[in-house]
Amino acid sequence: MSFREALRLALQSILGSKLRSFFTLLGIIVSVGFLVAVVAIIQGMNAYVKENITGAVIGTNAFQVRRTPVSFGLMDDEEVRSIAKRPLVTTDDAEVVRRALPDAEAVAFQSGWPTPTSDLTYRNQRIGDVLVFGITPAYQIVRDYVFAAGDPMSEPDVTGRRMVAIVGFDVADKLFGDPEKAIGKAIRIAGREFTIKGVVAKKGKVLGQSFDGFALIPYSTFESIYGRRKTTVVSVKMRDADEVEPAMARAQEAMRLAHKLRPNEPDDFTVDKADALVAFWKRLTKVLFTIVPAVVCIGIVVGGIVIMNIMLMTVNERTREIGVRKSLGATRRDIQRQFLVEAATLSFFGGILGVVAGWSLALLVSSFTPLPARVTLWSISLALALGIGTGLIFGVYPASRAAKLDPMTALRAE
Amino acid sequence: MSDLVISVRDLTRSYEMGAEVVQALRGLDLEIRRNEYVAIMGPSGSGKSTLMNMIGCLDTPSSGEYWLNGQEVSRMGDDALARVRNKEIGFVFQTFNLLPRATALHNVELPLVYAGTTARERRARGEEALARVGLADRMHHRPNELSGGQRQRVAIARALVNRPSILLADEPTGNLDSATSDEIMRVFEALHAEGQTVIMVTHEAEIAAHAKRVVVLRDGRVESDVLNQPKAA
Repeated sequence: MSFREALRLALQSILGSKLRSFFTLLGIIVSVGFLVAVVAIIQGMNAYVKENITGAVIGTNAFQVRRTPVSFGLMDDEEVRSIAKRPLVTTDDAEVVRRALPDAEAVAFQSGWPTPTSDLTYRNQRIGDVLVFGITPAYQIVRDYVFAAGDPMSEPDVTGRRMVAIVGFDVADKLFGDPEKAIGKAIRIAGREFTIKGVVAKKGKVLGQSFDGFALIPYSTFESIYGRRKTTVVSVKMRDADEVEPAMARAQEAMRLAHKLRPNEPDDFTVDKADALVAFWKRLTKVLFTIVPAVVCIGIVVGGIVIMNIMLMTVNERTREIGVRKSLGATRRDIQRQFLVEAATLSFFGGILGVVAGWSLALLVSSFTPLPARVTLWSISLALALGIGTGLIFGVYPASRAAKLDPMTALRAE
Repeated sequence: MSDLVISVRDLTRSYEMGAEVVQALRGLDLEIRRNEYVAIMGPSGSGKSTLMNMIGCLDTPSSGEYWLNGQEVSRMGDDALARVRNKEIGFVFQTFNLLPRATALHNVELPLVYAGTTARERRARGEEALARVGLADRMHHRPNELSGGQRQRVAIARALVNRPSILLADEPTGNLDSATSDEIMRVFEALHAEGQTVIMVTHEAEIAAHAKRVVVLRDGRVESDVLNQPKAA
């Protein structure tokens, strides 16, 4: 019997009892769907982190000189202790970096994490949990801020420790309804009065987190309110992406000289660029990538056993048909092939339905939550291969049972 | 000598039924020539079903020889037997044994599927075989849309489609009323007239009377083997 003929028979049998086929495949559908959906979400997040978050958090063509690396959260105790001994990154370091990189577009100094939040009030109106950053004016260039109204922070604002604030779009929008109306208004941040100097145009949301709910105040003013932070950061923006790597090397060299490190001493600072955040994220998702296959494997094995059971049942029900086929000249191979193709086709359908289910789930998740999803070709191929593979493996036993049936006995079966 | 289609020598077959060993055939000899029309009769337990399974290559003997068309079938393996069944034997069963989900034409094509015939030729030969049993207009009906007699004729068409050496019928009229039985018997007679070798296992004397030769079994041996007197037409 040809493969085509076997396939035709398989389709006839599977489509002849759709509901039963569907329930048989539930395990495979769920497992494969889960695989496709989770991979889609992880991949979507990866792309998203690469395209959006790094730009939003660090800035494009930018790198940072930090006391603590971006991936601080994933370090072991040993590393954490050695980092705790590092000196603070200061405005002097910012000056060192600026001198080492005369070609940089901007070198900024800013308060580090945890960024304090504060209530922000205007007369009797109040906005809670506004992020307050202490910055130097260059920070506004590093972050590519465009102004919707007013002016950027200036150097004299910092040196004069002025009580001025640049606010995010949402802040101005909520308090005044219009960015233009916000300019020159007196608001209170952390209980102190600030005058709004400028409003930054809308940046939008990343992962559902608005990037427009902030207040920027001069670094000097920030320090007098919150004290000196241990996590201050020097941000550098280069004009071109190609300049970032060499600039990082030069900044590192200059920092080592300034900190008077001997050649055999490790850096007492970290130079990180946006990639570090991507790498950090990848380390996080790696954990997912080890758990997901395990869960999928269990699902597939259970699904495969269900298929095996149903195929054994099918062989049982069709014993007489097998007898008839054998009496008409079907060899063991013919019968084996027929049932193996049927099992593989059945589970291939499971793969297809699983892909559809997973894809829909991914779409659903990405439209109802801020999580982005990206369905990739390799996860679909893997899902379909898993489908066929499961049927082939778990179909072997029922198919060989069918093939071994004695024609005479099979013909007499009820 | 080449006329000999079936040659069975000293055939035995025993089955183990629990602790007991049942001797179904006890040294049976039988020869059947080309274009014979033979009825095999006998009471239940006489071994006629066992002999039918042997002749149909569905079962192999415990001892003895079975030659079919010059091939010693008794020493063949599973796959070789499947090929012999496919090429040499056309089965007609009491319960028709058609595949319920397949059309009449597809049922008839089945032996050709296993013979590896191309789809085009399968269709042509299937249609031809159905026309031969008078069902050219029922080709695309499923078995449950056909009467008992029509179903049995589909089964006969299926048995004939591979041009087998023998047409082997097991109680072919057992599930049919007498009018339909007569109709099926006329089909057999016509086929025999065209040169087909027909072997029919039955317990009904009226049906056996249609055959030209009647072999009666008892206790696993041939009890009598006589030619029917030609009926006065």
